[in-house]
Amino acid sequence: MATETDHGLGEAVAARIERRWATLSLVIVAFLVGMAAYIGIHQATMPQGRVETADPKTLHLSGEFIESNLGSEMQPDGSVTVRAIGQQYSFTPQCVVVPAETPITFRATSADVVHGFLIEGTNINTMLVPGYVTDLPVRFKAPGDHVMPCQEFCGIGHQGMWGKVKVVDKAAFRDMAAAKRRLTCVD
Amino acid sequence: MSDQPLFSLRNPWFGTSVGITAAIAVLSAIAGLIWLPLAQPNLKLAGVWDAICSAAGVPRAAVPEAGVKPDFKTSNVVMTSEMLTRVNQVSIGRGATLAQRCAICHGPQGVSDAHSPNLAGQFAAVTYKELNDFKTGARVSVVMSPFAAAMSDQDMKDVAAYYAYLPRVPSNSLDTGRPAPAVVVTGAPMRNIPPCGSCHGDIDNKAGSPWLGGQSAVYIKAQLEAFASGARRNDISQQMRNIARQMTAEEIDQVAHYYEAQP
Repeated sequence: MATETDHGLGEAVAARIERRWATLSLVIVAFLVGMAAYIGIHQATMPQGRVETADPKTLHLSGEFIESNLGSEMQPDGSVTVRAIGQQYSFTPQCVVVPAETPITFRATSADVVHGFLIEGTNINTMLVPGYVTDLPVRFKAPGDHVMPCQEFCGIGHQGMWGKVKVVDKAAFRDMAAAKRRLTCVD
Repeated sequence: MSDQPLFSLRNPWFGTSVGITAAIAVLSAIAGLIWLPLAQPNLKLAGVWDAICSAAGVPRAAVPEAGVKPDFKTSNVVMTSEMLTRVNQVSIGRGATLAQRCAICHGPQGVSDAHSPNLAGQFAAVTYKELNDFKTGARVSVVMSPFAAAMSDQDMKDVAAYYAYLPRVPSNSLDTGRPAPAVVVTGAPMRNIPPCGSCHGDIDNKAGSPWLGGQSAVYIKAQLEAFASGARRNDISQQMRNIARQMTAEEIDQVAHYYEAQP
């Protein structure tokens, strides 16, 4: 009888420990899923919502990445869409002009190899992959100049691939957009 | 206890753990595929099915039409690094006959002192692209445009193959001891100027970039100035204008004379 009681007691302890460990691992899983959701929603990481394709060889022939359509476009809802391409070894437009305190969507792709798209002083840091469109919602807090170096080794001239981003006052941008449909700050 | 099967619905541990795992998978799928995509207003999703497809990464083609059309002709050549790299003897032979009309400016052997480009040994893709751009009007020259207008696509390929086949001949200003200017060796990174040779063949070749060694300094200078001012814009997506625009007049002069002295 005594042995049977010991056995029953051991079983109860094992079940309790088992339950606690299971609860702990569930809490860890729930925390990780919640953390991924939180940083996604709050733009700490910027997972792209869509996969869009664009043929790198024919970007200059048709579609939204032809030369005359590159640059910053004021949308009817007041937001701004910036279209750009990366190629060996420059960004076009070479100087991107955007307004401060405005929702901005960067749409960019590569015409040849993988390039990096990084704007110094911000958390904008992604890749331009040939064949795919990079679509990034961003917002600049204050006017100022930023450099935009390619941060993904793209060939022997990689270190010479630098663009510029000029963040201007909202009103100044509106005046510029009234005069021209696609804006750049290339001189 | 020990004879109770482990993987059985009658085992409460098995039923509960499988149930919880399945619940986590379903909840995560709903959060990742439906809730989070719909929480991003800029995605402009059409509905739940669109949200699921977007999040799962179903590719779709980008906007097919441009909002702003160009008010000038742009190059319509599709450049690839394999383009016209295969030697074709018939094409070279046809090209040799066709090239007789080019000889008055470009020289019977593809080399001349007329400040027109020396074509001997030039990459075939380069000669082909420029002829095509002259034909479509993406590049304009009072001399070249009428010649190119009458050429067929095959004519242009043949002429390009012929000139690529001819051996390069150094110019009269050959001086291999001439020191390379800084902009040729290292470029000027902060001004978005990569080293010239990273595209033009001395280090690496980007499809469509010409070999510059032995070209007339007058010609190189004129083209860099035309790219910088925007008078010439047949470079695809501004790849050369971006660089020429950033070069100083002094750098343009140094580069032109340096490349003229190279083989």
